[in-house]
Amino acid sequence: MATVEFEHIKKNYGGVEAISDFNLHIEDGEFCVFVGPSGCGKSTALKMLAGLEATSGGTIQIGGRDVTELGPGKRDIAMVFQNYALYPHMSVRKNIGFGLKMAGMPADAINSRVEEAARVLELTPYLDRKPRALSGGQRQRVALGRAIVREPKAFLMDEPLSNLDAKLRVQTRSEIVKLQKRLGVTTIYVTHDQTEALTMADKIVVMRGGLIQQIGSAEDLFHSPKNIFVAGFIGSPGMNFFHGRVETGARGPVTRFGGQEIALPDHCASVVGRDMVFGIRPEHIRVGDSGPHVGLSLVENLGTEKILHFHTPGENVLELDRTVMANDEERDAQTMLIRVIDDHRYNDGDTLSLAFPVDKIHVFHPDTHEVAR
Amino acid sequence: MSDTSTQRQGRSLAGLIPSIDFSAPRHRAKFGYLLLAPAVLLMAGIIVYPILLSVNISLQDVRIARVGATGEPWTLKNYAWLFGSSEFWHAIWVTFKLVAVVGGLSVVIGFATAMLVNQKFRGRTAVRLFVALPWAVPEVVATVIWAWMLDSSFGVVNWSLLKLGFVAEPIQFASNPGAAFAAVCFVMIWKGYPLMSIMLLAGLQSIPEEQIQAAKVDGAGPWQRFFYITMPNMLPVVGVTLVMTTLWVFRDFAIIHVLTQGGPIGATTTLSILTFEQSFEFFRMGQGATVGVITMIFCAIISRALVGRMAKSVH
Repeated sequence: MATVEFEHIKKNYGGVEAISDFNLHIEDGEFCVFVGPSGCGKSTALKMLAGLEATSGGTIQIGGRDVTELGPGKRDIAMVFQNYALYPHMSVRKNIGFGLKMAGMPADAINSRVEEAARVLELTPYLDRKPRALSGGQRQRVALGRAIVREPKAFLMDEPLSNLDAKLRVQTRSEIVKLQKRLGVTTIYVTHDQTEALTMADKIVVMRGGLIQQIGSAEDLFHSPKNIFVAGFIGSPGMNFFHGRVETGARGPVTRFGGQEIALPDHCASVVGRDMVFGIRPEHIRVGDSGPHVGLSLVENLGTEKILHFHTPGENVLELDRTVMANDEERDAQTMLIRVIDDHRYNDGDTLSLAFPVDKIHVFHPDTHEVAR
Repeated sequence: MSDTSTQRQGRSLAGLIPSIDFSAPRHRAKFGYLLLAPAVLLMAGIIVYPILLSVNISLQDVRIARVGATGEPWTLKNYAWLFGSSEFWHAIWVTFKLVAVVGGLSVVIGFATAMLVNQKFRGRTAVRLFVALPWAVPEVVATVIWAWMLDSSFGVVNWSLLKLGFVAEPIQFASNPGAAFAAVCFVMIWKGYPLMSIMLLAGLQSIPEEQIQAAKVDGAGPWQRFFYITMPNMLPVVGVTLVMTTLWVFRDFAIIHVLTQGGPIGATTTLSILTFEQSFEFFRMGQGATVGVITMIFCAIISRALVGRMAKSVH
């Protein structure tokens, strides 16, 4: 059990800066998830923590001990890899016990530890099989077994679920969380899947382009994103964005959406006359009797919920750099989504009136992409 | 290709092989056989026929075999001579010694160089080229150069050894049996290890990086990673490589022939040298063919045993 500390960590590949000034404190026993699009530096950060990649600057501490100059075997960590990285020529028993054997533990002690780990992970019947005779989910559990048997200070997991099918992924996700809660070992988990991040983490670190965008709980990131990237990345489907000018209305600041006034939070009074970016989540838009009218371009029925698509009014269309919206491939700036759970039958081409609850509108500066407060 | 030309071709093919649609599941295999047929016929002509021919000659008491001449009656005389001859047993002993020394050392050196050029370092491409160089030089050319360098009167090797004070008088590579055998081993290893190195490098590159990383995290040092991760992963490749070296050493003729002609006093006479001697120096082609047939049987047994073992150890 230990805290993990990154202090001013940098990583350069040749002249390219992959990670710059990475600072992070992870509490003892915390489940911390690094999330971001591919190439954001999350795996590099994990590998530097594991000692598999050298840092270009800064220090890393595990349990208060500076491990920056130590090899992976001396950091007292265990790692679970994306493709499991099991040793194909060893039985499950030997795979799980390999780390203990390297540590010079006597054979009978290794055996009892391995049996215990196998019991926890329900792997006992498979102990004498080779990895190739196991299913994907079982291999994943062997990889977990190899990690827990060593009772390390921290677990490092590099996209451990991405090779599993959708159903098994959901199941294994909760198993990992339960296991981590039970063992209470500090865990650093890397994923590109924001759903995994939201469901598993105590602390989420959103990264992009080698920089930390925001650190916080799932609640923090969902309700108070610090910038457009985090707002768009967290949540599925992602947040709707549109732009408009802040004006002074009868009861406070407003902007125009499809020609109709929309009330804005009071703090927007300070930016009256300026063009701003507004964000609202699909589940926060309400279908009502008054407000801007839109025509539905597509209705997606998912059973319980429905996703309604409509075209963003021309003057409100936001032109953003595609990289900012990396999470939302199916999304284009001209379309906004509404997520509804009701019994109403919606059809393509229906005209609806929308209401944008004022406390659910996020306001961002168009130049810095930072939230306006 | 336009539709009409495809149809025309279809029709003309249909004319040749009436009404078989090779894309139908039932007929798919037939098309495969059809494509294989030319290769199989060619192999039958240039491999199987000569083998049968040499088996035929080995069963005849002939000095100079002529294709098409009326065959002698079949006899086991040649085989009786062979198993009773000390030359034959000596050649087998020399061949196995050579296989053990050359096979063993070139795999070890090949493995070491493969590990070396598998590391990331500046100038790696140049070093890889350098490692592969002996393999690219034609065998006879390389051996002639080595024969000159190893010459006891004006060879550069003896000159260097004398200058450096390692030996008091020139080593007689041509007349000292031990030295001649060592020289043959050396040149064969020099010529043979690059291919081993290239094959083993391919094997090393196929070991998933994450397995090595997992072992590092598990606390395994460089030697432990080599014995517990690299070696087991490499066993199938090492198996293939060993088969190839063994068969190469068994069959190789040019290096020994150019360097020592099998001498002195038979110290480097392997089975292939013996085949040549009997057939083309003593003109006892029946006996030469007999040695050839026995060599072939050895090679078949060795490759079967090693390939079988190797196939089992593949994960």
